[in-house]
Amino acid sequence: MAKNIRETLLGTLEHGQEIMENIRVMRAVSGDKIPTSSVAKPSEAIHRRELKLVVQSVMDTGRQAKIFRFVSEDGYLPPFEAGQYINLFTQIGGVRTSRPYSISSSPRQRAYYEITVARTKDGFVSDYLLDQVKAGDRFTANGPAGVFRYQPVFHSKKSLFLAGGSGITPMLSMTREILEAGLDRDVVLLYGCRSPEAALYHEELTAYAAAFPNFRYHLVVSDPVEGWDGEKGFLDETLIRRLAPDFAERTSYICGPQVMNDFCKSALEAMGVPEKKIRREMFGARRDIQNEPGWPKELTGDEVFTITVGERKLPAKSGESVLTALERAGVRVNVCCRSGECSLCRVRLVSGDVFLARGMLRRYADEKYGYIHSCKAYPMGDIEIML
Amino acid sequence: MRDYDVIVIGAGNGGLASAATLAEKGKRVILFEKHNIPGGCGTSFRRGRFEFEIALHQLSHMGTEENPGPLMEQFKRYGIYNEIEWIRIKELFRVNFPDGTGISLPADRKSCEAHLCKEFPGQAEAIGRYFEVVYGFCDQAAAFAAKSAASTGEPGALKKAVMKAGFPRLYPLLAKYAMKSTQEVLDEFFTDPKLQLALSAYWCFMGMPPTRFPFAILAKCTTFYLETKPYYLRGTSMMMNQAIMEAVTRMGGVVRLNCGVQRIILENGKAVGVVDEYGEEYRAKRIISNISPLATYGNLLAPEEVPEAAREYLKPYTVGISALTCFIGLDCPPEEIGFTTSFTLNYESLDANRDFQDAYKLLPESDPLVATCYTVDDPCVSPPGTSIITAGTLKYSGEWEKLPPDQYYEMKYEAGKRIVARLEKMYPGITEHIEEMEIATPLTHMRYLGHPGGAIYGYEQDLMQSVFFFPAESKIPNLEFASGWVNACGFGPNYTYADTLAAKIAKEV
Repeated sequence: MAKNIRETLLGTLEHGQEIMENIRVMRAVSGDKIPTSSVAKPSEAIHRRELKLVVQSVMDTGRQAKIFRFVSEDGYLPPFEAGQYINLFTQIGGVRTSRPYSISSSPRQRAYYEITVARTKDGFVSDYLLDQVKAGDRFTANGPAGVFRYQPVFHSKKSLFLAGGSGITPMLSMTREILEAGLDRDVVLLYGCRSPEAALYHEELTAYAAAFPNFRYHLVVSDPVEGWDGEKGFLDETLIRRLAPDFAERTSYICGPQVMNDFCKSALEAMGVPEKKIRREMFGARRDIQNEPGWPKELTGDEVFTITVGERKLPAKSGESVLTALERAGVRVNVCCRSGECSLCRVRLVSGDVFLARGMLRRYADEKYGYIHSCKAYPMGDIEIML
Repeated sequence: MRDYDVIVIGAGNGGLASAATLAEKGKRVILFEKHNIPGGCGTSFRRGRFEFEIALHQLSHMGTEENPGPLMEQFKRYGIYNEIEWIRIKELFRVNFPDGTGISLPADRKSCEAHLCKEFPGQAEAIGRYFEVVYGFCDQAAAFAAKSAASTGEPGALKKAVMKAGFPRLYPLLAKYAMKSTQEVLDEFFTDPKLQLALSAYWCFMGMPPTRFPFAILAKCTTFYLETKPYYLRGTSMMMNQAIMEAVTRMGGVVRLNCGVQRIILENGKAVGVVDEYGEEYRAKRIISNISPLATYGNLLAPEEVPEAAREYLKPYTVGISALTCFIGLDCPPEEIGFTTSFTLNYESLDANRDFQDAYKLLPESDPLVATCYTVDDPCVSPPGTSIITAGTLKYSGEWEKLPPDQYYEMKYEAGKRIVARLEKMYPGITEHIEEMEIATPLTHMRYLGHPGGAIYGYEQDLMQSVFFFPAESKIPNLEFASGWVNACGFGPNYTYADTLAAKIAKEV
């Protein structure tokens, strides 16, 4: 066969003939390399775009909280790191929304994931989960995700867990893993609750503390009832110094309501603990956004403004995130952490002002070009956004 | 149904630049991106106080105000050049050797040659000859490319014979070196392995060891970076992504984020439109795919729609290498741990080709380690008193794909520990300063890029698959490819390649 000009010229290069011959051989010995879309990526074993979950059981803790055990529709659940969450999607009264829940079960088994949902005041999703969801119900979720976890490259093997309320759940997963797998780590867990009755997993944690010398546990009650002879007060500097005197050697992990989270961080900072030794789980949006530092005083949280998205105009309350308003109106938004960190829900603010809550980890370019994470942005007037 | 002149699939560098150039030329263009941010391989992510660059080390093709390079002119046409704070990098790179010595190359031909001659005095004459060859080679390559672009059609037998005889005389350096590996050429000039390693460092930008890395690409990298200067920019590569995306919109184009394409519509074997992931249909005269040819044919067409010619065409091409990278935020400035040149290549031995073989293993062993401290060139890249380092090795995904999922996190952290241990040896005290750290494995790249093998550079960029043999042809009429899978990968090459492609298409639609 006559060679075309390209091959002719390439053939004059040193090694040209040889390399072109190699390509011909390669072509002759190679099979078809175009995949079909039905073949799953190997990374799907670790990260799935979507989990299809079935509720296997619902267990009432008797403490205004239930434990939901999920199995996978197709029998496979990806591995996760103790401390990570799944973002659970719900369809309630025609509104599709989601909530991140830390996995409370141990990552050493993957037959199921457990999450623990506590009752919150006016909790749109928690009420639904606690009052209506039963075994056999199906959900989709994304995750497991999140960086609130032990990072062995630079975290200390000695941990200080500071948990508040339902913020105990990621610590529980971590504790179960450490103790059940016999890991070479040492934990002090300080768990702040209003009352002993509200403390989740108190019996299990007490039993662990009795059985394992590398695990110490103190329930700290803020509103003690008669007869409570355990720790009282808040997770403050004095208490931490007394119960974890070697705090400076430990990496601290904080998870709990925003107020408690901020309080503990300040306490650790006052004690001279550097930022690299303080890990925090930012758990969703606070419900009382009006109490956030910097909140515009002229707004009550109840004003109703208009969000313009393309052709649509949607009502939005100043005290509710832009993300919530979009979901309420049925607008499709990509979402995962709902805590300002993952950036999946980012939208462009075309006009108008928003209040940006703390904890939004925004890229430099997003700030320059007016992108906001809608889960942490609250309308301060009429706004226009672009998805 | 919506009508456009051109539909672009994927807002990576090639997709962004294609869309911008088409919009600039007044074409109706729509760009689809399935992720929530533009940028493809070149994006960033936040952890704590830090924003980590994922891909860009040094931007080429920019040039200086006095001597603008093609990319600067392209960005000026888009109206974005002044929106970005450019940071000129003073040194090309530093190569560190196992004995603790190292060599940093200044980003200017004269000083670079002078510095090498000072470090390797016995080799001064050979260094001079080598640079003459590198520059002469690139001149001849450019001249030949210009000539080929101007010629049309297949010449007759007589003319062909004349051209065949004339080619080695007209382009002697092309004829001698264009199909040689970096190692072969360096062996011709030098015996000192340190000098060879100092000159071949760009192999890691293409993921091929010196024995397989085409000298043609090394020569181009060397002259491009020396002449158009290496740059970084404030705000990571996301700034370029966002600036280009805004430019597309400003010039009348449409960008859809969070909206992937589920299939390409064929009629009589020709590409005529796409269906987005929500089922909406779009039509266009031309479709530019900025995703891999494998994913384009394999995922966006039914198996029976894939032309036999495409299957045949892609047979000799092998999916390339991925990476294992640690993104590290430190609570100290770079000088405190002794980091002085931003981009470094660190060897465990003087045999890069041997060490590269460890890229096929699961964990970092003697793999050459690439470590970049962005703070060296821009102290504002992270808060005052902190710094950002990304350090990692090239890795094939094979062993990671075989790893049982249960062991994934354990192995990922083991890999991170090994890389940090290597850094600790060179920069004592670094481990104590780590404030944030993430590890990306080949599976992480696979997850976010959707590329087979978690490939970060597309196909293997060796002598059989790059330079003259990039698989740039589409086997479906009205479908074109723009990504790093079909040309020299990298930011500068991709932006400029897509610009040229889009300008050609703009004339046709």
